[in-house]
Amino acid sequence: MRRAFLGEFEEIVLLVVASCHLEAYGVNVWEQVQEQTGRKITMSAVHATLYRLEEKGFLNSHMGGSTQERGGRRKRFFKLTPAGAHALQEIQAIRSKLWQGIPQGVIQLFGI
Amino acid sequence: MNDRQPDISPPRWAARFLEWFLPDELLEDVQGDLQEVFYKQVKAEGIKKARREYWLSTLQYIRPYFLGRRQKKKSVHDAKSLYFDMFYNYFIIAFRNIKRNKALSAINIFGLATGIATCLIIMLFVQHELGYDRFHEKADRIVRVIFKGSIQGEKLNEAHVMPPVAQTLLADYPEVQEATRLRQYGIPRVTYKDKSFKEDAFAFADANFFQVFTLPFLQGDPKTALLEPNTIVISQAIARKFFGNEDPIGKVLTFKDFNTSCKVTGVMVNMPYNSHFHIDILASMASLPDAKSSSWGTSNFYTYLVLPEGYHYKNLEAKLPGVVEKYMSPQLQQSFGMNYAEFQQKGNYLGLFLQPLTDIYLHSDFMYDLGPRGNIENLYIFSAIALFMLLIACINFMNLSTAGASKRAREVGIRKVLGSVKGQLVGQFLLESILLTALSLLLAGAMVILALPFFNSITGQSLALDMGFVLKLLPALLLFGLLVGMLAGFYPAFFLSSFKPISVLKGTLTVGRKSISIRSSLVVFQFCISITLMVGTLVVYQQLNYMHTKDLGYNKEGVLVLGETWVLGAKEDVFRKQIMQDPRVIQVSLSGYLPAGPSYNNNFTVSPDSNPSQLLKTLKYDVDDQYIPVMGMQMAAGRNFSPEFATDSSSIILNETAVRALGWQQNALGQSITRSDNDGKKMSYRVIGVVKDFHFRSLHERISPLVMVLSRSSGTMIAKVKTDDVKGLLASLKTQWTALTPDEPFMYSFMDERIENTYVSEQKIGRFLGVFAGLTIVVACLGLFGLATFTAEQRTKEMGIRKVLGASAGNIVALLSKDFLKLVIMANLIAWPLAWWIMDIWLQDFEYGISLSPWTFAWVGLAALLIALLTISVKAIKAALANPVNSLRNE
Repeated sequence: MRRAFLGEFEEIVLLVVASCHLEAYGVNVWEQVQEQTGRKITMSAVHATLYRLEEKGFLNSHMGGSTQERGGRRKRFFKLTPAGAHALQEIQAIRSKLWQGIPQGVIQLFGI
Repeated sequence: MNDRQPDISPPRWAARFLEWFLPDELLEDVQGDLQEVFYKQVKAEGIKKARREYWLSTLQYIRPYFLGRRQKKKSVHDAKSLYFDMFYNYFIIAFRNIKRNKALSAINIFGLATGIATCLIIMLFVQHELGYDRFHEKADRIVRVIFKGSIQGEKLNEAHVMPPVAQTLLADYPEVQEATRLRQYGIPRVTYKDKSFKEDAFAFADANFFQVFTLPFLQGDPKTALLEPNTIVISQAIARKFFGNEDPIGKVLTFKDFNTSCKVTGVMVNMPYNSHFHIDILASMASLPDAKSSSWGTSNFYTYLVLPEGYHYKNLEAKLPGVVEKYMSPQLQQSFGMNYAEFQQKGNYLGLFLQPLTDIYLHSDFMYDLGPRGNIENLYIFSAIALFMLLIACINFMNLSTAGASKRAREVGIRKVLGSVKGQLVGQFLLESILLTALSLLLAGAMVILALPFFNSITGQSLALDMGFVLKLLPALLLFGLLVGMLAGFYPAFFLSSFKPISVLKGTLTVGRKSISIRSSLVVFQFCISITLMVGTLVVYQQLNYMHTKDLGYNKEGVLVLGETWVLGAKEDVFRKQIMQDPRVIQVSLSGYLPAGPSYNNNFTVSPDSNPSQLLKTLKYDVDDQYIPVMGMQMAAGRNFSPEFATDSSSIILNETAVRALGWQQNALGQSITRSDNDGKKMSYRVIGVVKDFHFRSLHERISPLVMVLSRSSGTMIAKVKTDDVKGLLASLKTQWTALTPDEPFMYSFMDERIENTYVSEQKIGRFLGVFAGLTIVVACLGLFGLATFTAEQRTKEMGIRKVLGASAGNIVALLSKDFLKLVIMANLIAWPLAWWIMDIWLQDFEYGISLSPWTFAWVGLAALLIALLTISVKAIKAALANPVNSLRNE
């Protein structure tokens, strides 16, 4: 598979799915993303991103059992694939390499 | 959910939307998630807000990701997608069908394309003709004042009126918002520095001219440009011609003929082509002394009024008779010695009338009209032809599709058995026909582009397909294609879809008698139109030929007209003497009065001294003693003017019609007649000769009374010349001309050309009819060919059996052709009286014309029959020569 590009929002959703572990389904991910980023995000955006990540092979999904509060509809649970884990790690590595490349004091200059 | 309260549920339509919008595999969990959130929100913030939020979230699923995946959702259970599949299938079937019957489809497409292309070209032409003068902002409110009258039964129709009309109407009638005048005044020579040109597009205009007509200025102020005397407004073309890149404003152009110089105060855009007047130089009316004239005796001023919005000009026209009576009566008293009441009692009338600006080009038929005019009758004829062409093409289309129907009966049967309903089949066939129409439309477009230059060259038009017009026309064209497709596909669609599947599949279907009779009547109709057009063409050509060969009462051949000789001034006589020495020149006359040319304001009202109360309006020719011999006119009695008689300046020659009108028979010679001119001065003339009637106008018009007086009328020289060395003669004349007046162009024409030019309109219609008669016959024959192909194919087996049983090829050709020829004969029988009736009306427009001959009709009928026979026999012979083994092998 061609190495897929991971957008910023995709990265966040992927991280949220990873951190939720076994409880990652639409509503849960949506709430987590909003909570973690402090942004207002539409459900459709989350859904679209989840499905796209699945198509790219970073996630896979299975349907859970039906629940009453959902009108008898089943939940679709998402799970990180090895490719997804690898992609996250790679991003992490690139980020830390870049962080290390920043000369001492540059960030502090901005008062952080 | 049953155990929940039923009213706490997400909005149903939003849920529906998701069902329609989302890919099936995603639907469940998206809806589930949304509903979960919805119930949370119902608890937290109430049902209303939750529903609103649900709606909002739902709508947000309209995003590229889901849009892109929506198409994947095709499934067998989806009625909508099935529909598209069927549609696609129709297309495939349609294309396969076109490919299978290449010849028939080609005939169909080509035939329809020809019809559409013809129609388009004529539409372009009609649009061009109808568009005249529309570009003026006030076009709908402008009317022209015209002068009509009748004196002693002689009709008077003039496009221009007396100088005070504009001012009078403006003052007397409040509804006249603006009145402006235009006055033509010869063809002046205009000079600037070393540049000098004759400008024929020259006129004087009132200062408010540009308030009435919309002619945008490039420089200068339209409101004030023509206020001062000796100011002119010129077109951009003239500005370029005289001043090149210099700024024209304030420059002075010299008019030698008027001994004046005029300052350029404005530059306007070039006159649009579709205007009834084309003036390049407009001089201020204030420069013209005549302009202030209050005379009601001469008319020279084209007068235009602006009326209020929504005001019908007829209302004003109704008030105008009073004007004539009020202002013209004194003039009448002076000229004719009677007041208006007496004048009217004798059955005469004079009056001002109005004519809408936009009618001028097409409906005007006046003396002294500015510029060329169109012909509304031709427009009707052309439109009818366009309509018929389209009709014929559509009929072909219907005919051929219907004919091909039985071939597809099996397909229809199978479709019906498989569950197609009639509506679907109708849709399929309509789609097929629309597809074919679309192809025809494309082809027609190409044809128009290719044919336009050809069309322009034979009709002398300059039609162009400009992009703006095409874009404007595009929706109409598409609609038109759809309409034609529907129209043409209508009959086959309903006819085919009504097949009974059982009889089709059992093979007991008979393509009913009814459809054959309909098809036959359509063929008859087509040929009717073709034959009528062919007869029309022939009659027009016969009439043209008649006009060419008719003895007009004067020489056509070898009469050379040298125009504009007045520019020679005093040297005119020198020139005349010089050219007379040329052995190739027989005689030379000096007179501007020519038959078959523009007529001048040369009315002359005379009364015989034997009966002074009788008035006769005549035309007057100012001629010299050479005129009659040069023109080759014959004297019926008496003698020509002669320099030997000093008294000839008060002599007069009448034509035969004038003699008859005055009631003299043999005793015309020696009679005297009196003429009173505008100033009331009376002149007496003695009749010394009677010239045989000659046609001084086109053959549309009856010869009217005419008098000739001996008077110097410079301007044009007419020379009777030997025609064996015209080139050499013209070259030598030109050399002599240039020696005398180097600046002036040498202009000449021949009498026969001038006569030719009088019949431009007839020639145009002749060519038109010729082309279209040819086209309709081609299209009709295409149809016939298609039908013959079809019939031959259908009867292949029959022919095979007949041949095996001993029929000769000739027998078979006869058998196949017989039915079609019957139709063409029937078409002839219907077309003849129709064509007779139409052409009789057309010929009535000529005072002197041919009478219709039955032979014309017979020949056209025969020709149509032959063409049809030829078309059919191509197929019939092939069928007759085919080896019967091939068609019978399968039996």
